[in-house]
Amino acid sequence: MKSTSTGVLPAEGGLGDHPLLAVEDLHVEFRTRAGVVRAVNGVTYSVGPGETLAVLGESGSGKSVTAQAIMGILDMPPAVIPKGEIRFRGTDLLKLSEEARTQVRGQRIAMIFQDALSALNPVFTVGWQISEMFRVHRGMSKGEAMKKAVELMDRVRIPAAKQRVHDYPHQFSGGMRQRIMIAMSIALDPEVLIADEPTTALDVTVQAQIMELLAELQRESQMGLILITHDLGVVADVADKIAVMYAGRIVEHAPVHDIYRRPAHPYTKGLLESIPRVDLKGQDLYAISGLPPNLLELPTGCSFHPRCPYRQDNCVTDVPPLHTISGTRGSACHYWREVVDGERQ
Amino acid sequence: MGRYVIRRLIQAIPVLLGATLLIFLIVFALPGDPIAAMFGDKRPDAAVAAVLREQYHLNDPLLVQYWYYISGVLFHGDFGVNFSDIPVSEIMAGKFQVTLNLALTALTMEAVIGVGLGLWAALRRGKATDTMILASTLLLISVPTLVTGFVLQLLLGVKLKQWTGLDIFPVAGTFAGLRSYLLPGFVLAGTSIAYLTRLTRTSLAETLRADYIRTATAKGLSRRRVIGRHGLRNALIPLVTFLGADLGNLMGGAVITERIFNLQGIGNQLFTSVYLREQPVVVGIVTALVLIYILANLVVDLLYAVLDPRIRYE
Repeated sequence: MKSTSTGVLPAEGGLGDHPLLAVEDLHVEFRTRAGVVRAVNGVTYSVGPGETLAVLGESGSGKSVTAQAIMGILDMPPAVIPKGEIRFRGTDLLKLSEEARTQVRGQRIAMIFQDALSALNPVFTVGWQISEMFRVHRGMSKGEAMKKAVELMDRVRIPAAKQRVHDYPHQFSGGMRQRIMIAMSIALDPEVLIADEPTTALDVTVQAQIMELLAELQRESQMGLILITHDLGVVADVADKIAVMYAGRIVEHAPVHDIYRRPAHPYTKGLLESIPRVDLKGQDLYAISGLPPNLLELPTGCSFHPRCPYRQDNCVTDVPPLHTISGTRGSACHYWREVVDGERQ
Repeated sequence: MGRYVIRRLIQAIPVLLGATLLIFLIVFALPGDPIAAMFGDKRPDAAVAAVLREQYHLNDPLLVQYWYYISGVLFHGDFGVNFSDIPVSEIMAGKFQVTLNLALTALTMEAVIGVGLGLWAALRRGKATDTMILASTLLLISVPTLVTGFVLQLLLGVKLKQWTGLDIFPVAGTFAGLRSYLLPGFVLAGTSIAYLTRLTRTSLAETLRADYIRTATAKGLSRRRVIGRHGLRNALIPLVTFLGADLGNLMGGAVITERIFNLQGIGNQLFTSVYLREQPVVVGIVTALVLIYILANLVVDLLYAVLDPRIRYE
């Protein structure tokens, strides 16, 4: 790997040996008055062109913070990245100058946020906000850019786009607003799209439509999609691989079907078992006991040990490494074999 | 929107009537006799006083007097005459110009200095600049106009000339044209500048924490554009409201400043007229001020809808 100097933009065109986007041993801390919050503690994942990586985890697991670190939109300070790399086409984004990062942001790596109502600026029309991408980054005239905005709104299937381009965000329904957010993010054909809980704020029926739209756009443009969610139901249909996060670590990663069939980490297993199922109607719903860890004082050893039904003595003292299960799978559990076997019974 | 404006103007009528009646009653309740005041130290002749009383309807019941007055204002645009038979509108006209000049100077300073300092503080939050700006606004708020007025008049109006020979700020009066409004304008705007600075700082800081600012950053926009377009445009909304409402305050609150700098504005006139029990002049000035208040508030409300598309008037 050649080291990159600041200001050099990642190459375009062929990928060579490099993955499209690879996060490696990323650490993010928030240095607050109350102490150091270790939000991300050594996350490693990657996504290729046309591939969908689902990052799964409950609130506070560090999945959003990782995404914001990739985008470079963390408030620094209080956030600090003491260690790790974020390689985009082989270039470590963390080593780039701020100007160079601004060139990557939005144009080559784009992001969709959870609540489109608060994520869109209330005082500008949606057309203005979408066309801003073309005006600022492509130097288009107002008229041209506006035409592009209408095209994009058509592409994300907003009815009567030509008229609605002059409306304000609050005049749209939740689903339509998220479509606008999507239109804005794909405006400049980014190579990577990060969707941070894009459907959490929406009705179930609308959720499916939005996921379908994302999948379709991805097929058309071959962008790498990082889908951040806490909803296992959303993941199954669209994701190629899953990374499960807990307390700022990836505790399990695997191709999507392997995880559903045979989870190799007690936390993943707990998550899967806590999904309500029609065939188990009437029975008590399983819940993972205990609470998510306090990031100010992470438990010793494996962060999950206070809540883990498979706990042994060494879990309290030794941090489990990410064991390789197969070429594409890994689990950060000392007893992953028992977990996998347990699922068989 | 048109209907909204009309409705607001109709709503202003009872406000105007109520305000004038209240002022009328208060001035009437002041101790002292206006006819006696006309004669200064001398004791007026009883017969002459009686004729004058009759002429100015002073013997009629209070509400009848009010009716004479308000019907004149409403139907003839006639604010009446003072006890020297000079039309009140004539007295007010020139004085309003002076006060308006003063208020607009103050408002401009307020907008430029207040918003400027506020933005600066917001962008340097927690740093020395921020702390210093906050401390000086606190000072400005705590010290009364009476003190800042005389101190600045002495330092910038008198001493600056003595020490450096530079004649920038006239000590008093309006002989130097717009330049003579700079110092009194600042004194008048003082506390407002401080409040607006703090409001701006809070408003921008609040706005910069919003989700859409994060979105704007994620769009790959420069920090300048993120703050300047996306942030400022939203942070501006409460500031415009404050500025609009403050125009009325500045016009009505200029009494002390106008006395200190001897500006012949309505504040000064109001002081004199209250002193002389010139009921029609006092009521006339206050009525005009109430009108300005109402109009300024209406303009603010309409501006609000322009600045924030989420607000709609039906």
